[in-house]
Amino acid sequence: MGLLRRATDYLEDRLGLPTLWRTFTDRHLPGGIGWIHTLGSATLFLLVVQIATGIFLAFYYVPSPEHAYHSVTQISTALPFGWLIRGIHRWGASLVVVFVILHLLRVFFMAAYKYPRELTWVAGVLLLLLVFAFGFTGYLLPWDQRAYWATVVGIDIAGYAPVVGSYLSELLRGQPEVGVRTLGRFYAFHTLFLPVFLFGLTAAHVAMVVVQGIAPPPVGEFASVEPAEYRTRYALAKKEGRPFYESMAKDTLVALALLVLLFVLAWKLGAPLEDEANPASVTYIPRPEWYFFFLFELLWWFPGKWIPVATFWIPGGLVLALLLLPWLDRSRHRAPLRRPVTTALGTAALVMASFLTYKGATAPKPPGAAATIRTRLETETLSPLARLGLRVFEEQGCSACHTVAGAGGAGGPDLSRVGQARDAAWLTRFIPNPAAVDPTSEMPPYDALSVEDLSALVAYMETLR
Amino acid sequence: MEQEANASYQSSPRRRFFKTFVTGIGAAIGGLLAVPLAGFYALPALKRSAAPWKAVGPVDQFSVGDVRLVPLEPLERRQWPEDWDRDAAWVYRRGADDFVVYDFHCTHVGCPVNWSPQAQRFFSPCHGGVFDRDGRVLSGPPPRPLDRYETRIENGVLYAGVVYRVDVELQRVN
Repeated sequence: MGLLRRATDYLEDRLGLPTLWRTFTDRHLPGGIGWIHTLGSATLFLLVVQIATGIFLAFYYVPSPEHAYHSVTQISTALPFGWLIRGIHRWGASLVVVFVILHLLRVFFMAAYKYPRELTWVAGVLLLLLVFAFGFTGYLLPWDQRAYWATVVGIDIAGYAPVVGSYLSELLRGQPEVGVRTLGRFYAFHTLFLPVFLFGLTAAHVAMVVVQGIAPPPVGEFASVEPAEYRTRYALAKKEGRPFYESMAKDTLVALALLVLLFVLAWKLGAPLEDEANPASVTYIPRPEWYFFFLFELLWWFPGKWIPVATFWIPGGLVLALLLLPWLDRSRHRAPLRRPVTTALGTAALVMASFLTYKGATAPKPPGAAATIRTRLETETLSPLARLGLRVFEEQGCSACHTVAGAGGAGGPDLSRVGQARDAAWLTRFIPNPAAVDPTSEMPPYDALSVEDLSALVAYMETLR
Repeated sequence: MEQEANASYQSSPRRRFFKTFVTGIGAAIGGLLAVPLAGFYALPALKRSAAPWKAVGPVDQFSVGDVRLVPLEPLERRQWPEDWDRDAAWVYRRGADDFVVYDFHCTHVGCPVNWSPQAQRFFSPCHGGVFDRDGRVLSGPPPRPLDRYETRIENGVLYAGVVYRVDVELQRVN
């Protein structure tokens, strides 16, 4: 008897491991399990890559404001393969978000969250929240300007939670301004605290998938769920299907493709690093990571006393709806067209989230941002006076409230066609003292403008037709 | 046999006693660990220490009507962990001895507001918040005027203290 065989027999006798392994790999899956069902295992694979690269990054990273940025610079530029490890970790973080959402959408539209897999779904939603928590805490660690200001804003947003908000943001920050204690906390959350829950929830989620089996596609006898007959039907379907071992071929192929993609992203795009965090800079333009663009955009929509709608009630309501989905959608039907309300609401939420993300990604820069003026002076053919007027328009910050050709704020009217609506005489009277011309106008007076600047500004506005 | 014995055991007072005992000890262990751990995490964060006064600079470096960004220098070297923090503020000299020192974080979600000398306004780079030179909200989503520091002038030097909030009438609220 060979050594390997004897070792296997030993493990079988003492621990029963080989049998356990074969129970896992050789369990039958029902028919119809295809490429789209690899999204879950792809997410798991990406998490494993994040854990591996994260552990190794921790060997060199120093979580203190004095050293964090420089240790990250060293990882990226001086250490062998450092650029690759950090690049993979950075892009892996984005891919985890992408795949966790795709996986959620697959399960949502196939109604795989219904009996008997309600708790598998709940664990999955909690894992989605955990992924966002990893993203938020990991984002601060490089301690560059982008990291610092995203965290300042993120913690301020947490402060809008009703009742506990101000305590929540103080507990997250650990001190009055984002600083050394914030970094320590975020590092401990990211590398020690959150992983405990990640391991526990992932193990529970996967165990539930094994115990209840993968949901067959919502067609034929599985187009609806009848709890009384379900287990008999499912056992029969499993008997007719093939073992999991064979569909693992798809899972491993997807994993390899993802790893290659991560290598390419790390190689071609790398992990960006801006200037070191400077809490005293007033010229930095904070922007969130792409998966928080929807929230960034929602903040445009709910000003003043409505802010908590964007920061708390909409995201909170969405999370609650996701957690309770298996009990909100109680119909027996699984096919998307047989449960039109759920499908329509889910599609609407998806379209809305995509739209908000797009709007957030293309949100206007603050007025006077040098690049804005320059590109418009270069691209638009204007008379010398109107060119001066465009400069005044930008310098006076008009675009903070007014949109022209799709760029600018939404506080005041869109001025893209103002030249058609108002003549030069009206504008010349209105701009220095809006309330005198139109008592309902909320526009602040611009009475400090010189006569030359005002006439240039009006000349520019007359070109907007 | 064993099952029958177990069934009678499960309803026995003896088992109830052990259940209460073990649960009680478990709760005590959990509490003994949780209280100091929670305090260790939360108390330093919730402590309101009196913010030390910071020097803004000699009064005569500001001309009346001017709005300028000035670094704030702590008077005493603060203890770790605060000693790393760099800080700055917008200073507006309204009159001879009349200064307003603004916290430069927008009251919406904390982005750094920038003063535009041409427009004579503060602009936030994130969601279009606009403030006038008195810190009032002119446009955009900010829920209140710019926060400001307590100020005092001593021997011709301007100092900044605690940050406080104001309402729409610019009256202090905290």
